Amino acid sequence: MAQTPRKLDGYALTWRLPIIVWQLLFFIGPLLFMIAMTFFLVKNYRMHEAFEMKNWFKMLSRGFFWDSYFLTLGLATLSTICATVIAFPAAYALSFKVSANVRRWAIFLLIIPFFTSYLVRTFSWYVILAESGPINAILGYIGLGPYTMLNTKFGTMVGYMTLTLPLVVILQTVSLANIDKSLIEAAHNLGCGRTRTVFTVIVPLAKTGLIIAAVFCFILSFGDFVAPYYLGGSKPPTLPIMIIDTTKSGQQWPRAAVVAVMMMVTLFTVAFAAIMAAYRKKA
Amino acid sequence: MSEPLVVFDNVVKRFGDFTAVHKMHLDIHEGEFLALMGPSGCGKTTTLRMLAGLEQPSEGEIRLAGQVMNDVKPHERDTPLVWQSLALFPFLNARENVEFGLKMRGADAATRKSKALNWLDRLGLADFAERPVDQLSGGQRQRVALARALVTEPQILLLDEPLSALDAHLVIRMQGELTRLQRELGITFVYVTHSQSEAFAMADRVVIMGDGVIAQTGAAREIYRNPANRFVAEFVGRNNILAGTISSIARGVAKVETPAGEFKVHLPPVRQAADGDALSFAISADLVHLTDKEPTGDNVVPCTLISEEFVGSVITLFLESADGTEFKAQVQERELANIDLKDTKTLYLSWPASSAHVLED
Amino acid sequence: MGSDRTIKWFLRGYVLLLFCFIFLPIFASLVFSFNSQRFPTVPLGSFTWHWYETIWNDPDVWDAVRTSIIVSLCTSLLATFIGFCTAYTDYRYNFRFKGGFLALALLPPTIPLIIMALAMLAWFAKIGASGQVWSIIIAHTVLTAPFAMAVIRLRLNQMDANLESAAWNLGASEWTAMREVIVPFVKPSIISAMCLTAAVSFDEFAVAWFVSGLNKTVPVIILEIVTGNIDPQVNAIGTFVFITSMTLVIIAQVLIMTREKKDAQA
Repeated sequence: MAQTPRKLDGYALTWRLPIIVWQLLFFIGPLLFMIAMTFFLVKNYRMHEAFEMKNWFKMLSRGFFWDSYFLTLGLATLSTICATVIAFPAAYALSFKVSANVRRWAIFLLIIPFFTSYLVRTFSWYVILAESGPINAILGYIGLGPYTMLNTKFGTMVGYMTLTLPLVVILQTVSLANIDKSLIEAAHNLGCGRTRTVFTVIVPLAKTGLIIAAVFCFILSFGDFVAPYYLGGSKPPTLPIMIIDTTKSGQQWPRAAVVAVMMMVTLFTVAFAAIMAAYRKKA
Repeated sequence: MSEPLVVFDNVVKRFGDFTAVHKMHLDIHEGEFLALMGPSGCGKTTTLRMLAGLEQPSEGEIRLAGQVMNDVKPHERDTPLVWQSLALFPFLNARENVEFGLKMRGADAATRKSKALNWLDRLGLADFAERPVDQLSGGQRQRVALARALVTEPQILLLDEPLSALDAHLVIRMQGELTRLQRELGITFVYVTHSQSEAFAMADRVVIMGDGVIAQTGAAREIYRNPANRFVAEFVGRNNILAGTISSIARGVAKVETPAGEFKVHLPPVRQAADGDALSFAISADLVHLTDKEPTGDNVVPCTLISEEFVGSVITLFLESADGTEFKAQVQERELANIDLKDTKTLYLSWPASSAHVLED
Repeated sequence: MGSDRTIKWFLRGYVLLLFCFIFLPIFASLVFSFNSQRFPTVPLGSFTWHWYETIWNDPDVWDAVRTSIIVSLCTSLLATFIGFCTAYTDYRYNFRFKGGFLALALLPPTIPLIIMALAMLAWFAKIGASGQVWSIIIAHTVLTAPFAMAVIRLRLNQMDANLESAAWNLGASEWTAMREVIVPFVKPSIISAMCLTAAVSFDEFAVAWFVSGLNKTVPVIILEIVTGNIDPQVNAIGTFVFITSMTLVIIAQVLIMTREKKDAQA
C-alpha cells in the first residue's frame, strides 16, 4: 500500500538509493559523457577533452552522413510498415480466429526467438539466402533463379523482419485480443461488412497498441547493425554501421558520438510524435 | 481506574487537503465490545488504523492504558488487528501463521507451538493446524486470523469488517462466536463495520460516524429509538424524517408545518424552541399505524402505495403522500389481513405525537 | 457461411506460414550444426558431430563460456538486487518526483544497444575500467535491471495489500517484516528475475563487443567468427546458447506458473 512517509528514514533510503546511484553513475553518466564527447577532439589517435564544434561541422556537412541518415530512416520506416502489415493478419487471426489456449501457446512460442541468439539467426539467413544456398537450390529444381538475395536491401529487410516480427506480432495480438468484442458484434449487427469493420472499428480501437508496436519496431530497426551489416552488404552504410566503423577502425569516438546523438534525437522525436498520436482522443 | 483503556483526545487526521477525521473525542472502556459504524468514507477505518499505529494523528493524542501512543510504531504496540482481507501469510501453514506474533516476541519454538495449537483447538481447528492456508475454507481462514491475533493475549483486539467476505450463514455463526469469545476472554474488542445488524447484534456500545465526525454514541437500542440527528436517523433503522417550521407551541407540544401536512410533536425539555424555528423529527416505521379508512386524531397522512418489501412476518411498505414525501411503514403481516392493498386507493398513516422523536439540527 | 470458413482457414494458414518464417533460421541453425557441409545447401550433406567437436576443443570458446557464465551470474545477482529495491520502493512509497524516479529506472530498454555500447565504451575508458570483466557486468546490469524490476513488481501486485501491515501489527519491525514476509512471498519472482536477467546477459553481444576488450563473452566470439568467414561452428555455439537460455527461461516460467496456481486456490 503506497504511502507517503513523514520523513525519509534509513529503511526507505536503503531501497530507494541503489537504482538512483546506479543509473546516475552507469546510465546517465555514460550518455551525458557521450554527448559531451561530441565536442572533443582527436589528435594523433588520442582523444582530448575540449569544447569544439569541429566534429559537428565535419559530420553534418558531409554528404555521406546525410546519405546514411536518410537511408537508415528510410529502411527503418520501410521495416516498420512491412512488419506492421505482415504481422496484422496473423495478430488478427490469433485474436479472433483461434481459442484463447492456442493464443497463449502462440505467444509463448513467439517468446522463444528472444532467447536465441539474433546473431546466429542472422548467420542462418546468410547461409540460407546464399547464391549456392538451400533456397536457390530448391528454386533451381523448378527452373528458377538463382537470385541474389544477400548484400541487397532485400537481405536487410529479411534481417529486420527476423529481429522485429516476434515482438510486433505479440504486441498487436495482445492489443487486438483486449478489444471489447461486443463493439465488433454491434458493428456487424448494424450491417458493417467484415472487411470494413476491420478498418473502421477494430484498427481505431486498437490504435494505441498498434502504434506502440510500430514505435518499438522503428527503434529496433533504426538501431540495428547486424541486419544491414551481414545481410545487406554494409554498403552504403547505415548509421549504426557508421558508429561501428568510426569507433572500431577509425578510433574517432567523437564523430561516432555525433552520429549517436543524431540517432537519439531522431528516435525521441519519432517516439514522442507517435505517442502523441497514439493517445490523442478525438474531440 | 483513572482513565478508560483507550482515549482519543481531540484527534484530527488529514490526508493532504482532505480531513478524514475531524476533532474527535472517544473513550473506549476496558472489557467492552465497541462497534464503530458508519457508511464508507466516514473515517471509522482510519480511526482503527490510528489506534493500531498504521496512521499518525495530524493533531491530538491517542492514549492506550494512560500512555501516549502517537510516536509509538505499529510493531511496538500490542493492538493486534483482524483484517478485512484476513492477510494470512500464504507461505505459512495455519499453525505457523498463528505462531507469528509469538515469534516476533521471541518465544521459543516449543512454547509457540503449544500456544498456537491450544488456540487452534479452542477455535475448532485442531485438525487443520498443519494445512497450508490456501487449502482452508473461508470460515476456517477467518478463525486462523482470529487465533493469530489472540495468541499473544492482548489487552485489546481490533477488527476491521472481518465478516464482510463470508457467506450469510457463516456471518451469523461467527457473530455468535465472537460475542462468546469476547465474554470469555474479557478483553476489549473494537469492531469496525458498515452493517447495522452486525453492530447491533454484538456490541455493548455503538459509535456512529459520518464524514469524519462522531454522530452518536450509545447502546444499540438507545440509538435505534432515539437517533440524535438526521444522519443517524437516516442511517439506522427505518425512519420517516420530516422537516418543517414551528407554527405554535403549547404545553410542550409543537405544531410543525411540513410539506406533508401539519403535525404535533412533543418537544423534549432540553430543546429551546420558538415560533418560526426550523424543526426536524423522525418517526420510526414500526411506530406508524396503517389503515384504509381515515382515522381520527392528529398526525394523519393520506398516502398512495409505491411498493412493498416482504421479509417473512414483517412487511415494509413504501408510500408517498400527496406532496411527494416518501414514507415507510413497517407492519406485521397479520395486520394487513383486513386491508386489500391492491384495491385500496388511499392508505392512511397515523401516529401519536409522543412517537415522534425530535432531531438535533 | 462458406466464405467465413475459407477466410478462417486462410488466416490460420497465414499464421503458420509466419511462424515458419520466424522459426526457419532457428531450425536451420540446429540442422546445419549437424550438417557436414561448410556451405549448406539442398540436398544436405552427411550427419556429423564435427562442429561440436571443434568448439569443444577450442580453448578460446571455453574461455568465452567461462567469461559468459561469470558475467551472467554476477549480472543476474546485481540486476535482481537493484530491481528488487526499485520494485519495493515503487510498491511501498509515494513521493515527489516518483514519476522521474520510475522513468530513470525504466529508460534503458528504450535506448538502442549500439548507442549504449558506444556510451559505455567511452565512459569506462574515462574512468579507467575498459576491457574488464566487471565493466561488462556493470553494463549488463544497467540493461537488465528494468526487467528484474518488472517481474518482481508484478509479483508484489499479487500480495495482499495488508500483508506487510499485518506483519508490523503482529510485532515485526520493518526490517523483520521484509525478511519474514516480503522476501518469502516474492521469492519465486526473485528466482525468475535472476533466470531472466542471466539469459538476457548470456545473449547480449553489442555492448559486450564494445566493452569487453580481450575478455570475450560467447556472443562476442560468435560475432568474431561471423565477421571473419562462414564457419558452421557458429551453429554449434548457437545451439548451446539456445539450450542454456531456454532452460533458464523455462525454469523461470514454471516457477511463475506453479506459484500462480497455488495463489489462485487461496
